[in-house]
Parts: sequence; C-alpha cells; structure tokens
Amino acid sequence: MNAIEIRNLSKSFRSLYAVDHLNMTVPVGAIYGFIGENGSGKSTTMKLLCGHLVPDGGSIRLFGRDYTDPGVRARVGALIENAGCFPNSSVYQNLRMQTINLGLQNPDEEIRRVLRIVRMEEHAQLKFKKCSLGMKQRIGIAMALLGDPALLILDEPINGLDTDGMRIMREILLDITGNYGCTVLISSHILGELEKIATHYGIIRRGRMIMEISAQEMDARAQVFVSLKTKDMAGAKQALSEKFADVRFDGEYLRVYDVQDSAAIVNYLMQKGHPVSQLKKNKIGLEEYYVELMSGKEDA
Amino acid sequence: MENTLKFENPTFSQRMKGMLGVDFYRLLHTPMFYIFLAIAAIIPAMVSAMTMMPDQNGNTMQPLYDNVWQIIAAKKPLYVIESIADYANMNMVFIFGGIMVSVFIGHDYKSGYVKQLFTTHAKKQDYMISKTLTCAFAMACMCGSYLIGGVAGGAFAGYRWEVNAGSLIIAILGKMVMSLGWASLYTFLNVIFRRYFGVSVASSFFFGTGILIIGAAAIVERLGLPAGFLNVFLYGASVNACLASGFSALLICAGVSAAWAVIYNLAGTIILNKSDVY
Repeated sequence: MNAIEIRNLSKSFRSLYAVDHLNMTVPVGAIYGFIGENGSGKSTTMKLLCGHLVPDGGSIRLFGRDYTDPGVRARVGALIENAGCFPNSSVYQNLRMQTINLGLQNPDEEIRRVLRIVRMEEHAQLKFKKCSLGMKQRIGIAMALLGDPALLILDEPINGLDTDGMRIMREILLDITGNYGCTVLISSHILGELEKIATHYGIIRRGRMIMEISAQEMDARAQVFVSLKTKDMAGAKQALSEKFADVRFDGEYLRVYDVQDSAAIVNYLMQKGHPVSQLKKNKIGLEEYYVELMSGKEDA
Repeated sequence: MENTLKFENPTFSQRMKGMLGVDFYRLLHTPMFYIFLAIAAIIPAMVSAMTMMPDQNGNTMQPLYDNVWQIIAAKKPLYVIESIADYANMNMVFIFGGIMVSVFIGHDYKSGYVKQLFTTHAKKQDYMISKTLTCAFAMACMCGSYLIGGVAGGAFAGYRWEVNAGSLIIAILGKMVMSLGWASLYTFLNVIFRRYFGVSVASSFFFGTGILIIGAAAIVERLGLPAGFLNVFLYGASVNACLASGFSALLICAGVSAAWAVIYNLAGTIILNKSDVY
C-alpha cells in the first residue's frame, strides 16, 4: 500500500493548467522530496491533497482510501505556505485549538510532546505574532504533528530558516519518520538540505511529473566526476577532451565526468605536460542533477 | 505516539465536537466577542437616553417609546419601517451580529487556520454547521446583552415598565431563536465572499438591515397575499416576535429560523464542495 497515489490529477486556474494529468506515488514511511521550479505546481498539488482545492479531474488515494474519506483525512497533518495560526493567540492557545479540533485526549501532554519535538517548550506562552520566522515554521510543524498523523504534507518548511533552524528541522523530520513511522511529503528549493533526508524524489515541471526516483536509484545514477587544477587549464581541457567524453570547466576547476580511476587522469595529464596541482573525486548532488535534468528538458 | 495505519471514520458527533470545540474556544478567548456584547448593551442604552435629551432650544424631544420594553421589541409586527422606534429595537442585534460573524469567519481565512480545519475535516458541512451554531450562540448572547442595556437605558431615561410578562418573554425568546437563522445567512454570505472581507462585512450589513423585506412586502401586497406571509422571511419572523405576540409567534420564529438554517447550510456546503476553499 502506498501513502499517496495520484493518477491523472489536473487542476486549472482560468483555463491554465497548474497541475496537468499528474501521477505520483509515495510509499508508506518515505520522506518524499517534491521538487520543481516556482509555479511548477507543487503547492497546488499539496493543496489538492489537503482538500483545499477541488480537482478538475483525476484521482487521489491516501493509504488506499479516497482522499475525501474523513477517517484518513483526520490523520493528515499539513503545513502549507504558513503555520495557519491566530497571531494574537499564544503558541499554547493555537496548539490547544488544534487538539480540540482533533479531539485529542490529554491535550496538555500532547502539546508538551510536540513542543519538545520542535524545541519550543520555553515559548508556549509567547504570542504567535511575536515569534520569529523560524519559530513560526516550527510551530507549524508542531501543529501538523499533533495527534497521530500518518501523513505529513510540508510545503517549503525550511524556507527562511537559518543554518541552525535547518539542522533542527532536519532532525525533527528524521525523528518523526524514524520513530513514529510517519510518511512525509516535503517540498523545498533548498535541494542540498532535501538531499540529506529524502528517501524518494518527485520532480515536477509545468504541472507534470517528469521523474520519480528513490534516493538509492539517484545515488546509483549520479555521475562520478574528478575535479582538478593545473597551470594551463585550457591546454589541459583540450588534452583531456581527446580521451574523455565529458570535460567541463567549473569555476577554477576542470571536471572530468564518469571516471572511476583518478590516477589514470593524473598520469595522462603528466604525459601531456600538464602536471595536476589539485585533485578531488566527487559525485554530482541532487541540485546539479536537477539542474542538468531541467536544462535537458529545456533543450528538448 | 504509536503510529499504526488504522483509519477509523469519526462519527458525525465526534467531528462536530471537534469543530464546535475549536469555534467556541476561539469565540470565548477573543476580545471581539466581548466587544460585540458591549456594543449590543450600549446601543439600546444610548438610543433610549438620547431620545430623552433636550434639543438646542432646551425642549425635551418627543420620546420614541411608551415604555421600557419597546426598546426590546416593537409594539406590533410591522414589515415596513415607519419610524425609527420600529427599527431601533433588538433587531439591531442582527445587524451588528452580521458584522461579528464576518469578523469571526474572516479571521479564520486571514490567519490561515481554516487550512487546518479543512485538512482534518473532509466533510465541508462540519464547517457550515459549526460556524452557524457558534455564531447563533454569540448573537443570542448579544440579545441578552441588549436586554440588559435596554433595561438600564430605559430606567435611566425614565420610561414606564408596564407590559404583559408572557409577551415579553416570547418576544425575547423569539429574537434569540431567530439568531440561528440570521447566523446561517451570515455564514453563507461569508462563505460566498470568503476571499473579500470588505464585501463580506458590507453584504452582512446590507442583509441584516432587512431592507429586502420592503421589496417582499410590495410583492405580497400586489399579489393580494396576507401580510403574515412575510413571516416566512428572516426579517419578517424577527419583527413578528413583538410585544403583542403570542406563543404561535415563537413557534413561527423557531420554524422559520430552523428552515432557513437548513437551506443556507445546504447551500453553503454545496458551494464549499464545488469550489476552492483556500
């Protein structure tokens, strides 16, 4: 059983498709990184999943049930765009309202639990409007975590967070999936952060899913490359291009792709009169993979 | 927390308990509700006190009312406003109540909290029913507050107190019962204009004045129908609960209020089901 199964989902605004016959599959227990440019349809898809928007067509199933099923929707936690809290109410009051909404037993205990998870125990009495952006995002996560959510839908939860805030958010997400078995659908533009936690990725463009891939597959597919420096970079590039298929400039470095044996490159350049001063072997990250994929689609 | 993949469908009462709980918690924890209660009390006090004040020449103005209770309800059911005295009674609560409902529901959308409600409540009717009942309660409280303000203002202005106690109770209960119908109308209007707070407030005010009853009265007259036919409308039933009314007026209020509440709730639910909610 999958946590989310979307088939041929469409949503248009003034005859312009924001989501265009989208298919998506999120396995139970996954942290699914939902990636795409601004306006690609990520937020619209998430709002459709939460029942905020009415689809033009297609189907959405959550844990094998229709998404309009009250039983399954009662176990969806969401943070879409903002925390959705009343600014003049305290953090505690906002969380208290959500515990009432969900009909939770022991609300105070639940509130303490989620505040502990998001490291906000000290700020329960603070008015929501007095909280910093990072705190507001964490409160949004806390709201979504109340009760026993089987699925968390998080739209850009790490936007605007500082490095420490991002680290905390990362730890929170790993904690709730690892310890509570929650499935997480998360969108973000900060692909480097997403890469550290996601188990699956979905890449959306112009409302269509262009690729779904697990982190393991992504890792296997990721190109290995060697970055190097020599005195005569142009000469070295020319020499390398005669032997290797993919050689590119990357700032101060030269990159040689799909090479396993870096010693062979060093020896080859030495023979050609270009001694290597610096060398490192690496794999392309999610961000580069995404950029390459997008530029490929653009060309196509 | 033990996260097992069991999904039990909440019953209607469980769903309503959650939604009503949130709405009542919010209503009772925000200053807005108490401000509107105060407004409801101040209005009759001001109206009755001001009508007894001397004018520029030092002459005392003609009193609007014969006795204190007319501040609460009119002497007889009038469908077309003939004087300010017919207008300035507890029916004014329904105008200010409309603004209160707009602020209450508008804040749901402005804060974004409505997203939490619609995410966890798949049934849109939960939202309509909960808002209607919560706002009806608030408006009924405003009627109570108006009663207190009216009595205080009347005493201050020196009005007489004679009235049939039974009629008075029926008039007050009738107005309170009508809160349900009015709250459902305002909830419906706020669902339609949920993206436009100003339009929500303006439409609530417009419908709250009962100005459309003038057109309805003209049609009823032209068709030769009895004036009592106007009682099927919210404003008609509201003015019918007057100091001269009997138990049947209370039954009419309850029936009309409940019927309109069902109609507006169904219509609002259909709109929420067919359109994007946020």
